[in-house]
Order: sequence, then C-alpha cells, then structure tokens
Amino acid sequence: MAEKTYREALKEAMTEEMERDESVLLLGEDIGVYGGTHLITDGLLDMFGKKRVIDTPISEAGFTGAAIGMAMMGLRPVVEMMTWNFSFIAADQIIQNAAKVRYFSGGQVQVPLVIRGPNGGGVQLSAQHTHSLESFYGHFPGLKVVAPVTPADVKGMMISSIRDPNPVIFLEAGALYGTRGEVPEGEHTVPFGKARVAREGSDVTLVAYGRQVLLCERAAERLAEDGIEAEVIDLRSIRPLDEETVIESVRKTHRAVSVQEQWRYYGVSSEIAAIIQEKAFDYLDAPVERVSGAEVPAPYARNLELMCFPSEEQVVEVARRVLYQEV
Amino acid sequence: MATRSLVQAIHDGLAEEMRADETVMVMGEDVGRAGGVFRVTEGLQQEFGPYRALDTPLAESLIVGAAIGLAANGMKPVAEIQFADFIPPAFDQIVSEAARFRYRSNNAWNCQITVRAPYGHIPGGALYHSQSVEAWFCNVPGLKVVAPTYPADAKGLLKAAIRDPDPVIFFEHKKAYRLLKQEVPENDYTVPLRKAKVHREGTDMTVVSYGVMLHLVLEAAEKLAGEHGIEVEVVEPLTLYPLDKATILESARKTGKFLVVSEANLEGSVSGEIASIVAEEAFEWLDGPVMRLGAPNVPGIPFAKPLMDWYVPDLERIQGKMLELARY
Repeated sequence: MAEKTYREALKEAMTEEMERDESVLLLGEDIGVYGGTHLITDGLLDMFGKKRVIDTPISEAGFTGAAIGMAMMGLRPVVEMMTWNFSFIAADQIIQNAAKVRYFSGGQVQVPLVIRGPNGGGVQLSAQHTHSLESFYGHFPGLKVVAPVTPADVKGMMISSIRDPNPVIFLEAGALYGTRGEVPEGEHTVPFGKARVAREGSDVTLVAYGRQVLLCERAAERLAEDGIEAEVIDLRSIRPLDEETVIESVRKTHRAVSVQEQWRYYGVSSEIAAIIQEKAFDYLDAPVERVSGAEVPAPYARNLELMCFPSEEQVVEVARRVLYQEV
Repeated sequence: MATRSLVQAIHDGLAEEMRADETVMVMGEDVGRAGGVFRVTEGLQQEFGPYRALDTPLAESLIVGAAIGLAANGMKPVAEIQFADFIPPAFDQIVSEAARFRYRSNNAWNCQITVRAPYGHIPGGALYHSQSVEAWFCNVPGLKVVAPTYPADAKGLLKAAIRDPDPVIFFEHKKAYRLLKQEVPENDYTVPLRKAKVHREGTDMTVVSYGVMLHLVLEAAEKLAGEHGIEVEVVEPLTLYPLDKATILESARKTGKFLVVSEANLEGSVSGEIASIVAEEAFEWLDGPVMRLGAPNVPGIPFAKPLMDWYVPDLERIQGKMLELARY
C-alpha cells in the first residue's frame, strides 16, 4: 500500500470511478480551471474535459438542483460544496428533493448523488465557513451521511458513495486534507453503517467521527500512560449509524464518552448518548458524557478557535470523570 | 378572560403587540389581504394597513432576509412562513445571518425578528405540508426555538418572542390550531422564554412532550392513573432551545423514570437531546433507561391515511410505551 494524503485519496477515488464509469461527473464552484478551492479536483478537467468536470456559477441551489435532475436521469454527479455552510442555500433541494424523490416515486426514481466538501473547522475560517452540519443532515431519512477520517476510509467511502443509488452527504475533515495514511490501490470500498474500532481498550469507550477520532486516539495514548485502556470507535457513518458496534463496546467497558466538534445541544453526540443509555442501560457504570465545541459561532482568531473546539485535555478529563477518577 | 382557540390566541397576541408598538409588523405569503391560510393574521391589514401587514412574494429567503434588514433599521418584524415545510429556502438567512448578527458585530447589532411557522402532521399534508422541523434549528446558537401547544401559553410566549431582542423561531402545531379552546387572559401578559411547564404532577414517571403529542400524552396519563394507578408527571418544554434543564432534571430526579414523545422521526430529533441530558445529569436517580417514542425512519409523512396513522405515534402506542417504562 502506498502512503497518500487525505486530499490525494479523495481525488484518486473520484478519478478511478470516472475512468470506470462514464456516467460519473463532477460539478461545483471553481473545480475545473482553478482545480478546486481546496485543490481536490486539480488536473481532472484536463483528464476528463469540461462536460464531466463542470465549473458552475456561485449558486448552490442551482447546481445542486441540476445535479439532482442529472441523477434522476441516470448520471452519477458528485457535487462539491466549497464549504458545507454554503449548502444552506441548497437545503431545500437536498432535504426536500434529493432525500424524498425515491420515496415519493414509489421507488421508481433513484437519486445516485454525492455532495462532498469540507465540514467543521480548524483552519480559521470563522463563523460562516466553520459550521458542522452532521446532526442537521443526519436527521433526514433518505440521506446517507458519512464523515471518514483516514485516507483509506476516505477513498473507500467515496467509491461506495458514488456507487450507491441514494444521495450521500460526504463530510470531509477540511483541516486534515494534508494528513497522510496508507491507501489501498485500486478497487477499495467501505460499507455504510459500519463503524471502525480505531483502538481497542477495556476501560472506557470514546465515540467520535471525523477529525475528533484523531483527538480521541491521542487522548487514549495519554490515558494509557496511567494504565487506563480506552477503546476508540470511529463511527465513519452518521446515517445509517452502527449502533451495534457502539453498544457492544459499551457493554464491554461500561462507560462511554461521546466526542464531537459541533455544538453540544442537539448534536450527533446527543443521539449517540441517547442510544447508549437506552440500549446499554443495565451495563452502564457511569453517565454517558459528551465533549463538544463551545456554544458560539466559530471565532476567527486562532487562540479563540482553539478554545472553541474539544481538546485532548478535555477528553482525558471527562474520561477520568466517567471512571470516577476525577483529579 | 376570553375563550380562545390556539389560532385566535396567536392572532390576538399579534394584534395587541401591533397596537402597543408601531414598529411591530407582520409579513409573509397571503398574510395581508387574504388574512393568512390558517386565518392567523385575519383583519390585521384592515386595521394596520398594507405596510404593517405586508403581503410578500412566494420567496421564503426574501421574507426572512427582508425581516432581518427591517430589524436592523428599527422594526420588529414577525415573518410568517406559510408551512414550516417551506422554510429551507430561508435556512441561510436564519442560520448564517440572523443567528450570528449579534455575535459577528461584537454586540453592536441585534436582530429582533420572530419567524412563525405552522408545523406537524395533518391528514393529507404528506411530504411537504406535515413535517416536524423543530430540530433543524435547535443546534444553532443565537436562535431561540419555541413550540407552545395551548392557547394561553402561545399568546404569552408570542409576546415574549416579539419583545425579545434576538431572533426567535416560533412553531405552531397546525393540528392544534382549532383542537380546543381555553380561557386566555385579556390583559397584557407574557410567558417567559426558556421556561418549561409542568402540566400534570406525578410521582411514578416523567413524560416530556409538545404539540399534538402532548394532548395525547395527557390523555394517556389520565388513563394510566385510572386503570393502573400510575401517576405520570407531564412536562412541556415550551422553549426547545435553549432547554429549561432545571425543570426537566428536577422532574426526572423525582420520578426516576423518563420518556420523551415527539412526532418527528426519532434519530436526530429533539428527544435525543432531552434523553442525553437526563441520562447524563440525573443518571444516579434513574430506575430505567430514558425511553423515546417518535416517528420511524421514513423520508416523509405518508399521504395515505392508514400509512400516516402508522407513522405518527397514537394514543395506544404512547400508553404502551408508558407501561413498558413503568414495568422496567
């Protein structure tokens, strides 16, 4: 296996799928001539031409709506949101059309559509470019929502998403585009609704997705120095959610901390905590706690931004608290 | 006191605020000449003229965007979204603009708007006229999300929302509009935001609910008391975000058993947050898991009546879930 960046893994998955299947095409703002604001699609215009790598106007509702129409007619569009914040303009298209067309056509019309782009923060883009949208889109049946963190999963989940007959919300960790990891060559798919045990442990379960998985892994290393073995679960899919893997882990460790970058109330961690306490109540030795971002729009200043997002120290501290080892 | 339905109480609240403060205005699709599709704004244009009861084009992003601009210039607009289902085109204005106005301007500006929207199931409403959209806005700091059920609460909360200096999203269950009448005070009064209400006291379990489900929960609670001697405490959040955690936790610690009922599809709904708060902060008091009852994972409420009845929790299912929790 070759080592590749998160960015290269994304591009590789899209390139391979475009070579394999000519109905796959890309749309978005500045993805062609400019190569993408985050350089994910760099060079693809030259490889596939302007009919398959389409530079669109700055109009999220327009190009998302167009992509839904293309998907309904048999193409497999992959839409780039420059940041997921901008998808609010296209929210009506995504939740009222893409998510419901298959249902209200009685299964006659499918929408094989992928919408991808950076979600969350970490790179000083401030209040209107740092919104985390996983709990918002995760509420809608009819959508699949994924948030991979390793380059291998990024490639595997992008290929699975492009091949899926339903709309997929593909949430990328924008701050990790340059991180590296082993990526399998060629055909490599990762199923939806299957979490990954990122680290095995027996004392406490840390549940996370996206960028926070790495944070939990680092926190787990620190806990291990004191003899606490944390199990880290990388959800990978938000919808469908792999309840089984999470519950199985909690039944083993009896304690859980759910970690997310987004705002505390009504976030994905709320749902995770609600599920754990409902399905593993008799196994729990402590309340399920949550570590979340601060309840403010994301600040621009680096020092404030760092204060707003969960830290290693917070995860360590809360893990100790559910182990009743408060310091 | 006057006897008023939910729809009349909200109408009265709007009219009284408009009489008391000439910067208060209503705007939306068909709210003026036609008096609103649900008749909430009936007569307001006759009384206050076309500029304070403003008919807008079919463009939700414009309705909310213009309201934000009006608020920035000293007005207190109450924008009506005809059905809550139509709100997505206005998401960006609500979430990226209204909610962040105060924060981004470092407190120099506020955004005093109220966005009213009828939500929830009605027979035949189906995919685009029956959705429960409240959770969509509850993960957005900067917003307040309100969902009253009874006429007197709704009128007082609406007045509080209009007078609040920050944006409030005000959800009205359209099936509750004419479901019952209640004595509503005629004098000027407000019901505080961020404060939950205990509708029925009980000792054996707590059930939190709102909207039409609340009516069913209260009915089920009476039946459980009569048939099984189980006393259910029923709490309505009134403000869904930010939640009145104190009232909810106090009740949970008293009864030790907790159920949340809403008609939204379960995953990612309001009930998840309430359940996680109770499980986190009242863990040692709980005698069973916090249970939730909601709609299944289906992309929309079905049009066909039998399918809709299957989708939306009914009295029998609510009562069944309460008994399951009682017996845990």
